[in-house]
Parts: sequence; C-alpha cells; structure tokens
Amino acid sequence: MTLIHIQGLSKHFKILNRHEGLKGAVRDLFSGDYRTVQAVDGISLDIEPGEIVGYIGPNGAGKSTTIKMMTGILKPSAGVLQVNGLVPYDNRIRQAMIMGVVFGQRTQLWWDLPVIESFKILKEIYKVDQKMFDEHLGMFHELVGLKALYSQQARTLSLGQRMLCDITASFLHNPQVVFLDEPTIGLDVSIKAKIRSLILELNRTRNTTIILTTHDLGDVEALCRRIIIIDKGKILYDGDIKKVNALFGAYRTLKLQIKDYSEATLAALQDRLTGTFGAGHGITIAQTEDCWTDVTIDQARTPLADVLAFIMTNFTVEDVRIVEISMENVVRKIYDGALK
Amino acid sequence: MRGYFAFLRGAMLVGVVYRLGFLFTILGNIVYMIIAYFLWRSIYAGKEILNGLTFDQALLYIALGSTIFILLKTYTDWGMAEEIRSGTISVYLTKPIDYQLYNLFSTIGFASTSILTVTLPTIFMLFFVFRIPFVLGAGYLFFPVSLLLAFIINFNMDYAIGLSAFYTESIWGISTTKEIIVSVLSGALLPLQFFPAAVQQVLMVLPFQAMFFTPLMMVTKPDQNAGVFLQMLAVQALWAAVTYVASRLLYNQAIKVLRVAGG
Amino acid sequence: MLTLGEYIRLYFLIEAQYIKGQMQYRADFLISSVGMFFSSLATLSIFVVLFNSIPDLAGWSLMEMVFIYAFYMIAISPMQILFDAVWFLRYKIQSGEFVKYYFRPMNIMFYFMSERFDLKGLTQLAAGIALLAYSSIRLGLVWPVGKVLILILAVFSASLVLISIAVMAGSSAFWVVNSYPVLALAWKVREFAPYPITIFDGIFRFAFTFILPIGFIAFYPAQFFLRPAEISPLFYLAPLIGIGLFALTYKVWDLGVNSWTGTGS
Ligand SMILES: Nc1ncnc2c1ncn2[C@@H]1O[C@H](COP(=O)(O)OP(=O)(O)OP(=O)(O)O)[C@@H](O)[C@H]1O
Ligand SMILES: [Mg+2]
Repeated sequence: MTLIHIQGLSKHFKILNRHEGLKGAVRDLFSGDYRTVQAVDGISLDIEPGEIVGYIGPNGAGKSTTIKMMTGILKPSAGVLQVNGLVPYDNRIRQAMIMGVVFGQRTQLWWDLPVIESFKILKEIYKVDQKMFDEHLGMFHELVGLKALYSQQARTLSLGQRMLCDITASFLHNPQVVFLDEPTIGLDVSIKAKIRSLILELNRTRNTTIILTTHDLGDVEALCRRIIIIDKGKILYDGDIKKVNALFGAYRTLKLQIKDYSEATLAALQDRLTGTFGAGHGITIAQTEDCWTDVTIDQARTPLADVLAFIMTNFTVEDVRIVEISMENVVRKIYDGALK
Repeated sequence: MRGYFAFLRGAMLVGVVYRLGFLFTILGNIVYMIIAYFLWRSIYAGKEILNGLTFDQALLYIALGSTIFILLKTYTDWGMAEEIRSGTISVYLTKPIDYQLYNLFSTIGFASTSILTVTLPTIFMLFFVFRIPFVLGAGYLFFPVSLLLAFIINFNMDYAIGLSAFYTESIWGISTTKEIIVSVLSGALLPLQFFPAAVQQVLMVLPFQAMFFTPLMMVTKPDQNAGVFLQMLAVQALWAAVTYVASRLLYNQAIKVLRVAGG
Repeated sequence: MLTLGEYIRLYFLIEAQYIKGQMQYRADFLISSVGMFFSSLATLSIFVVLFNSIPDLAGWSLMEMVFIYAFYMIAISPMQILFDAVWFLRYKIQSGEFVKYYFRPMNIMFYFMSERFDLKGLTQLAAGIALLAYSSIRLGLVWPVGKVLILILAVFSASLVLISIAVMAGSSAFWVVNSYPVLALAWKVREFAPYPITIFDGIFRFAFTFILPIGFIAFYPAQFFLRPAEISPLFYLAPLIGIGLFALTYKVWDLGVNSWTGTGS
C-alpha cells in the first residue's frame, strides 16, 4: 500500500506588500495589497513504505513547505495529500503518532533538561513500552555512542551532538515515516558520516520510510535510491538516483583566478577551448565573483585533466580550485535537457 | 561625544518601529487615568483637602506619576542582562567606548520617542480632557531639569541592576524587587504626604523620592518660590552623583567576573 | 491519543523535571521568590498607608480591602504558575521555533504551556492564603464547609478570567508578532481588579463588569463572603463567565495556531 499519496498538491502564501515609513505602516493596516508566492505548484508523487527519498532543490524551491504539508502543519491550497490514507491537516494528532520529524537546526528536545529526560517524556507521549525503549536506546548507543551525552542538558550540546540526539528522538517511537529537513546542515564530516549510517541502519532494520531534504549531494548519494528534484514548486525529476548520479559525478567545476583578467580574457578562453576540444566539448564558462572564473566540465565528453593542463599552459593562472557541481547547477543542467 | 549621539539616534529609530507598542501604551495609560480618577474621587469622598493636597492636585500627581513611570521604564537592565548573558557585551569592551555612556545614550534615545508619543499626549489630555486647572508657577520651569535628573538617577540604578546579571542567571527577581521598592518608596503610587510623619522623614533622606516625588511636586505645587525648587534640584543632583559613582564602582567590580570567568 | 489522565501524568512528569532543572539556579530562585513576595505586598502597603488618611474606601474598610486583595492574589496564582509561558510566545513565533509544537501527538496549548512552571508564583499563593486567613479572622468570618466549596469555585472562576485575559493578549502574537504591548496593557488593567467596582459609576461600571470583566476577578466574588446581603446577582454568573471566556480564548488560540504558517525555512 502507498504510504504517501500526493496528487496535484499546491500551496501558495499571500504576502502583504509592506510600505515604508510611518504612513506606510498605517496604510498596511488596512491595505489589501497582497502578492502571492506559489511555494508548491501542483506536484504529484507516491511514496512506498521503506523507501529513502531524497527531496532536493535549490533554496526556496518549496521543500520545507511540502514537508510542512505532509506533517499536517500547513493546509494545502489545492490537491490531494494522504499519509497512510488520512489527510494530515485534519488528523494532526493521529498522524503525529506515526511520524518523526527533524526540522533544520531547531531542536525539539526540552532545552533545559538532560537529554535522557527528554527521551523519557517522549516515551510517555508516544506510549513506548519500557522494553522497546531500552532496546532503542541500546541500538542507538551501538551506532553512534550517545550514552555519554545523556546526562547533559540539551542547551549545552554542540550542534552536531544535538542533531544526533534529535534524530534519536525522532525514531524513538518507531514511526512509519521520518521527515528529515536538512539534518546535516552545518555539521562536520565525521558527524555527517555517523548520521548517514544511523539513518541507513534504521531504514534497513525497521523498514522506516525516510524523506530527506538536504543541500549536501553527498548525503543523497550515500542514502537515497530515489530522488525527487524540485524547483520553483514544480517537480523536475523523480526517479532512480543512478541516472542523476551520472550527472553529479560527471560534472566538475574548475574555479580559476586568471592573471590580468578582463572581459577579453573570458572571450579568448571560450574561443580557444572550442578550438582545442571541438564544438561538442561540454564546457561552460561563467564569471562568478570579481576575480573567479568558473569552467564547468562534463567529464563524459572531455577529461578534466586535459582542460586543466591546456589552461595552465596557455594562461597565467594564479589560483585554482576544483569543486563538485552545486545544486543550482544541477537544476540548470536539468533545464538544459541533461536528463533527456 | 559625537559617536554617542549615533546610539541615541539608533535607539530612537528602533523606538519608532515599535509604534504599535506606543499605541497600546497610551491606551493603557488612558485606562489607568480613568481608573485613577474614580479611585481618587472615592478616596476624597467629597473632602476638600487631604494631607495638604486638593483632589485636583492629587489627580495630577497620580496621572503624571504614571506617565513618568512609563518614561523611566526603559528596560535598560533587561537589555544589559541579555547582552551580558549572551556574551555580546564583549563586543563593546573591544571598542573604544564607555559602556555606561553607551547605555545612557541609547536609553535617552528610547525615552525621547516615548516623550513624544506618550508623555506629551498624556499631559495634553490631563489639562484639556480631564480639565485639571492649570496653576501658573515657577515650578514648570524647573520641572524639565528635575525630570532629567530623575531620569539619570533611575538610569544609574537600572544600570547597576543590569550589572547583577554577571552574578545571577536571571535578573527578574532583582529587577522586580527594585521596581516595587521604588514605586512604593518614591511616591510614584501615593504622594509621600500620605505617609505617617516618621516614615516621611526616613523617605526624604533616601534617593527614591528624588525620582518621582520631587519632579511631581514641582508640577502639583508650582507656585512656591524659586529657592525651594533650587534646593530640591540640588538634592537630586547630589543623588545623581552618588548613584553614578556607586554604579561605576559596581561596574569595576563586576567586570572582573567577566575577565576571570570568561564571557 | 492521550487521555485526560495521561495528560495529567505527563504534566507532572514534565514539571518535576523542569523544577529539578531550575534548582540549579538556587540563588536565582530565592531572589525571585523574594521579588514576588515584595510585589504582592506593594499594593497592600499602599492600602495600609492610604487608610491612615481615610476611614473607608467607598464604604469598604481596610480589612475588607485586604480580604478582596487576598482573594485576588490567590486567583492570579494559577495563571502565574501554570501559564507563565504566554510571555514567551512572541519569541517562539519570531524565531519560528513555534513550529515544533505541531509535531507531537498532543494538544498544542498543553504542550506549549507545560514547558514552563513558575515556582515563584507559589510564594504569592502562600502569601494570598495567609492574608485571606488573617483578614477573615479579623473580620470574624466563619467558614462552614459549604462556604469553603463556594470559595474554591469562586477562585476557580476568577482564575479562568485572569488566564483568559493573559492568554488572549498573548495570542495576539500569532498576528502582530510583537505582542508585548498588548500583554502589558492587559497586565496593567488587571492591577485594578482588587478595587471595589462600586467606585465607578455609569458606563464604566458596566464596562468593567461586562466588557473587560475585571469585576469578576475579585470584587464580586469577595462581596459574597464579606457582605452577602448586598450581593449582586452577577456573582452567580461568575463560573459561567469564567468558563465562557476561557472557551472563547481557546478558540482564539486555536485560530492563531491554525493561521500561523511559520517563517520561511
Ligand atoms: N510562511 C510563509 N509565508 C510566506 N512565504 C513563505 C512562507 N513559507 C515559505 N514561503 C515561501 O515559499 C517558498 C518556498 O519556501 P520553502 O521554505 O519551502 O523552501 P525550501 O525549498 O525549503 O528552501 P531552503 O532550501 O532554503 O530551505 C519561498 O519562496 C518562501 O519565501
Ligand atoms: Mg527548507
């Protein structure tokens, strides 16, 4: 049976256009001057039990808004949305029982209490029996070694430690589905790795459905079999990660600082690259900040090493960096037809 | 000095943003004045004069007192406590500015918006809506200076209370206790003439009367000779100086906590 | 879903932990309790001083005023102790942190209010009870069981009025974000509850009885115990007004919870 069923789901926000100054503020009190933001624009998708779905897209794409609708906080403007056969907004309390949520950097632990006491309160709220509770905590301890933190107050934990505890808390009642909205934001590599293995293990042993939003494509590659890419409220891609993976993997961006840079340099670079590597070279050039030039290379067509070598011999390069493709660029590539 | 005026201006701008707040503050003050009017009417119960004050004088005293209360309530102590607790105070310590002066100017900036939006409208209402008779007298000339001195004494106390955040987790208790003590002993809630003579004598040698009773008397009994007023101002100035020195000393003491324990 | 019994159990569990946490700041707790004690006594001391100059206030003696005030102190304690979180609603809304209250399978008002428990309010409650006992001895009031039950019911109704006023004012944060001025106004008006409504005439007496029902916080209930002969039939309406006002407040809160859509991210 489908766990989450979404059909033509939309959400728009009405925002008052505010005016400046004292007069403006008075005017705003009575004004009907609204602007609408279409945060989610007619999306459709179905999620089966046990899936790990990466829900990704650039800033402001509508990810958090979708999650807020799925968790019953926001009322959809239009469309069908069912979780476990029920409408979340109308059954908030019942739905909350089968869900776990971790939202950004906001903790849901009791700020002044030792972590273990928060867990105990949650145990009461969700009516988890003692045996299961102990089992859960034992398992989490094995996976990430949390025990040492249990006696600390939530407010004294570091960001990463708190996130681990928050994730632990969200799984405590063995929910059917867990929503993780940017669980790795601001964390270092080792904590990220811990969080990833924790999520994978929970999904494997309990068949928990997981919906994950993140800006770290590494998270997606490590965790998800299926990804959904959303931009401006619309779904751009929904399917196997393998196809998109090639896209993430194939593209690399060379960031260059070229000596005596001018507009002409950019044009020259463009010309000479085309001259050397032929027309279908799959290289795009863009100027970013003042002195950085971005050269994005499709490695399936032209090896990065060749391009780098060519540029180094023909231009005076002061500094160079290689970065993985960014979310924005992935979206741009998709618009450009990369997945067709 | 120029720099400090920037703080004043900044605080005024913030004050303007909270204009909705002022609307409610004025509304609250109006309700307060209506209630005070009825309350004092039944206190006087037809009597001409009580403890040397007429009904009109008492009403003026109480209503103006509540307005000054709003003016002096600048939340300086709360702001400081927040800065101390969160550690933002370190930012000021690394800059070439004096923390007390910085706070004083921000507080004046905050209060000057409230003079325009709360104090003046209330005074206007007192004379034109409640029709309290206006007695001509020298007291009105001394009143602004007296109010300024009261403001400074109040600021110094608030500042000292704010500094206590170096020692306790929350200043709620200290701040509330101070506010209650001030409002009872300064004559903000009840003219000091109503207190028993012995108590009055004690109250007159405490600093609190300089914050409310003194400026309020200048307006309720404005027709005395200038010498009396000058003497009142001198006492106020003395208290302003004493509280200033005391709060300085406290600062020097408190700042050591930061230096030792870290922000 | 949680039953009423489970909610109560949960409340004790959370508060027990909360109090344990607060006990780390022992000095703070002591100073706050002293502050609370003083602030309860401020109005009282004003009464005492005032009655030096006047024999009675609108026909009410000092001891009767003390009784009314003591009733008020007791009635305000539940609001102080259990609903202290209203003062923090605006911060949670400004920062968007409020979103977390939607995620648990619990009543949102319960979850939100359970996060704070104001211990120092207990000082006020104790002082109020002591004053009530003292003044009723001085006034020679007798307390048969039936009257004590009515007292409890009257305190309950008055508490509901006070809680409603505070929660409704605090709920304005769902729409105006900075609800402090609204709360401060409500707080200020409530200060006049312990004065006899009979000092007002005409439209003001009407207003403070029906529109801003501060008369029901202390005066009408206290009148029943002090001068049953003069009692206004309005006294019997008190429980209805308390419950009705709270129901209305809950509606407003719920409307706020449903209309608040959270900050951007
Ligand atoms: N409460 C709100 N009121 C008005 N507009 C909103 C509200 N919440 C979100 N929006 C708007 O809806 C759009 C989608 O926002 P959303 O938070 O869903 O994006 P997101 O994909 O989660 O982005 P991010 O990666 O930055 O977290 C944005 O344009 C945002 O400004
Ligand atoms: Mg988001």
